[in-house]
This record gives sequence, structure tokens and C-alpha cells, in this order.
Amino acid sequence: MNHTPDTTAGNGDAFTPQQAAALLDEATWEARRKLVPNPPWVLASRGVLVLAALVAVWLSVRGEHPYTGPTDADIPILIAFIVLNAALAVGFRRRAGAGVRGPSRLRPAEIAIATLAWVAAVALLVALAAAGLSYRLYPTTVLIIPGLTWAVLMMLRKNWRGVYSGASVAVVGAVGLLASPTGAWLVGGVGLCAALLGGAALNARYQRA
Amino acid sequence: MPDDALDPLIHVPTRLKIVATLAALPEGDTLSFTRLQDMIGLTPGNLIIHLRKLEEADYIASEKTRNGTVSLTNVALTGHGRKALDNYTHALRDLLGDHL
Repeated sequence: MNHTPDTTAGNGDAFTPQQAAALLDEATWEARRKLVPNPPWVLASRGVLVLAALVAVWLSVRGEHPYTGPTDADIPILIAFIVLNAALAVGFRRRAGAGVRGPSRLRPAEIAIATLAWVAAVALLVALAAAGLSYRLYPTTVLIIPGLTWAVLMMLRKNWRGVYSGASVAVVGAVGLLASPTGAWLVGGVGLCAALLGGAALNARYQRA
Repeated sequence: MPDDALDPLIHVPTRLKIVATLAALPEGDTLSFTRLQDMIGLTPGNLIIHLRKLEEADYIASEKTRNGTVSLTNVALTGHGRKALDNYTHALRDLLGDHL
């Protein structure tokens, strides 16, 4: 078996500082690209998807007088969209985290808290609906509790990019409360798209740093 | 500054790739041998040789765990290894000026 002497660049020439600098840059970028749970292109794609879905809802309800919200037929599509989005996020996180062990991985308690936050958000919507306030009037309410929960969980880990993503989702939810029921769908679409594109830019910058 | 200012243990293409890859992990995290092998694109035997050299210098630490009958090896950059990579990067910067 032939061994390449380990002081060479692999082609028999000496490994120069220029080659080392280029290799160091490339290896660092490549490793970060493979280890980052949310690749920029995935976040950007999810941003475009969420924009398309919520703007489609906004277009379908903006002509309603009086406002009644999305039809019952639209709800399964919205839910399927949320599930697809969540599956994408979880799938890429699992792929990036394969073989990685240690404190950066989410602990079971943190996963349970994040899941409970979604359950609490849905329970709140159900309670509001029982009190006569349909989610159709406050569609972005569902984002506030999970967004804030994620921001707090990430703050405890000093993961500032995670804090950004949680806080931006919560802010979109809160701003949507200030809009009209029709406008809230547009706020949700544009706001979440902007948040995801911002996250994509942050991750791209981290990979290049 | 002469080239010999560069840490000879890191100034080897394969080991530079290994160290740079492990440095991309958050501090305290470890990477499994198989994932590292997959990321670097080396044969197991070749990777073991380089990891052994880095471990002898205390640049990396490895731990073996058992999952049933399967033995798993996880590796991580030590604090000493991280500092060595920092020093190496600074030495490269000094050598290359603004080109890095």
C-alpha cells in the first residue's frame, strides 16, 4: 500500500501556507455547512413556502364582507402545510446532528417543553373559540407561545441565532394581533418569510465567518 | 516569518481537515468516528493513524462507548487542540498578510 508522505499536499509538492489557508477555509465552511441544523437554502425555501401559503389565504379572504376567514376546506391544507414545514425542520436537524453528541443537542426536557408550547398554543385557540373568539379573528396568536418558549430555551443555552428565530416568530404573532383579521394573514406570511430569510442570512454568515 | 512557524502536527492536509472539522463543533460536543470519516472522506485505517497522532499530542480526545455489541468511538477537539488551531491560524495570517 502506498502512503503519501504527510508533509506534502498530496501531489508530491510541499504543502504551502497558501494551500493550507485555502484548505482551512474550505474545510471549515464544509464542516459548518454539514453540521448546521438549518441550512440557509432550507430556511429560504421554507420562507418562500410560508409566504406563498399565507398570501394565498389572504388573497382568498380579503374580498369577504363580512369577514368569515378561511373555509373549512382550507384548514386541512393549512395543517398539512404546518406539518410539512415542521417535518422539514426536524428532518434537517436530525441529519445535521447524526453522530454528534453533547450539550448542543436538545435535551428530552427541552423537546418536551417545546412540544408543550405548541399544545398550549392550540389549547389557547380552542379556549378562545369556546369563548366566541375564533382563531380566524386572531390567526397569528398561535405563534406567540411557541416563539417565546423557543426564544427562552435558546437564551438559556446562549444560542443567539436560536433566540432570534424564536423571538422573531413571537413578534410576528404579536404584530398580527394588531392587524385586521384579513391583514393578519398577510402579516403572518410576510413576517414569517422575513424571519426565515433573516435566519438564512445569519446562518450563511456564520458558515462564511 | 518562516514556514516552520506553522505547527507541523496540524500543517498536514488531512490533519488540518480533521482539526478544522472538529473545531466546527460547539465546545463540549463530540463527533462519532463514522460521521467524521464520512465528512473527511478517508478510509478508517488512514483516519485512525491521523487521529492517533493528534491524540498523542493531546489535540483531540476520544472516548469509546458500547451500544449493545457495537463499540462506538467519539472524538472531540480538546481545549489544547483548539488553542493549537488558533495559533496555527494566526501564524498563517502572519505569513500571508491580508491574503487569508
